[in-house]
Amino acid sequence: MFKGVFLLLMLLCSCAVTAQDWPAEQWAPGPPGSGPALAALEDYAFANRDEATRKGIRTDALLVIRDGQLVYERYAGGTTADTPHLTWSVSKSLMAAVLGVAYGEGRFSLQDPVAKFLPALMPHPGICFADLLHWASGLDWQEDYEYAPLNSSVVAMLYTRGHTDMAGFTAAHPAFGAPGQYFRYSSGDSNLLSAALKNILGAQRYADYPWTALFEPLGIRSAVWERDATGTFVASSYAYMTARDLARIGLLMQRQGRWGERQLLPADWVAFNLQPFAHYQANQDAAVPGGHWWLNRPVDGAPRPWPDAPPDSFAALGHWGQALYVLPGEKLVIVRYADDRDGSYRHNELLKRVQAAFPPQVLP
Amino acid sequence: MTGDFVRRRPLLSLLLGVLVLMLVLLLGWGWQQRVALSAFPDILSAYTAKEYCSCRYVAGQSAPYCQGYVKQYLPISDFVDDPEHKRVKASGLGRTHTASWLGVREGCRLIP
Repeated sequence: MFKGVFLLLMLLCSCAVTAQDWPAEQWAPGPPGSGPALAALEDYAFANRDEATRKGIRTDALLVIRDGQLVYERYAGGTTADTPHLTWSVSKSLMAAVLGVAYGEGRFSLQDPVAKFLPALMPHPGICFADLLHWASGLDWQEDYEYAPLNSSVVAMLYTRGHTDMAGFTAAHPAFGAPGQYFRYSSGDSNLLSAALKNILGAQRYADYPWTALFEPLGIRSAVWERDATGTFVASSYAYMTARDLARIGLLMQRQGRWGERQLLPADWVAFNLQPFAHYQANQDAAVPGGHWWLNRPVDGAPRPWPDAPPDSFAALGHWGQALYVLPGEKLVIVRYADDRDGSYRHNELLKRVQAAFPPQVLP
Repeated sequence: MTGDFVRRRPLLSLLLGVLVLMLVLLLGWGWQQRVALSAFPDILSAYTAKEYCSCRYVAGQSAPYCQGYVKQYLPISDFVDDPEHKRVKASGLGRTHTASWLGVREGCRLIP
């Protein structure tokens, strides 16, 4: 009898130690922040919004998850907890997660030539999945939204010459170098991945796949993903969801692809996502490219992109200030939606202030 | 003949030469960029129609918010939002484009 009670107590204790919070229909609330550190965070993220000039930092949503619990959220500028906000290039990392499920089902390997599944890429037979995930296709792509619209490949892809078949438009670009050798950020590379997945799965299965493979298992209900006229998801730019739902992707990545009892993304897939691309040179971009995620890692002796965040931090980043940050050591997931029209917003500044406002918890 | 003109008006000749050279370069550049140049005027109206449609019917923002959201430096000459069919038509720089909402998962797309 006594032994039985003892064993039961042991079991209860071990459960309490290992129990992790996972969101059910809603996120469970955690201890909220307070004091000057929280005020400093809000002063930065939610400075007075200038609708006339659209200058400065214009946060639409800021949400902080600590160890699976919602500790902070605030909305502005017409966005609410129910708004499926445009994620822009955060969509690329979402596609990486969708691809991760397909990878776990054994549908392709990282070294497979993409042309095997995507005939449009036949002129570039050397491009493999890993190259596209590293934005290293070697295709002569010009990624510039606003400052050079005439020659911007991405503007042409989204709005003019490429919008009906974005992967076909991308594949028609000539090569500037060998695949896998040079980092050149390209929305086209992301849409080639999306189109390849369509052919791997078949159009019918593909149309539901982001939901069946990823969103539904995670309890994401607000997702919208726009397609081109061929039915290919615009993986580069056009996924939408609420801030609360995007945070679920962050928690999945914080916990190495595991959701509850289920290893949704294979551990080696997540490890690939978080491995810096070997041929990236310091300061080529705002952060270090991994496998369709952005990493805060030092490269070539250069300091890491966000010095005030730990080196294991990573993010999905999008145009006009969209961001999903994951700080695995701190057990922090941060979603920021925004409408930043100039370059004044700094990732490092926000990450510094979030960490100050939500410092590591001291165990009692 | 030409030599005479150059000798009599050296400065004017130099100026004309430079102008001709610039015209040749401009035409050459225009020819080289002909595909991009012919598509360029489409950007404004296609961007406006597509992003307004998504702002309004995917993100569910208000019409005034979405008007401000898609505003560019160049003016839109004609704009029609048809809420009943969730279709948005925008004209600018002499081109017209339409975007349409297709469904709860599909969101908006440029038509065709």
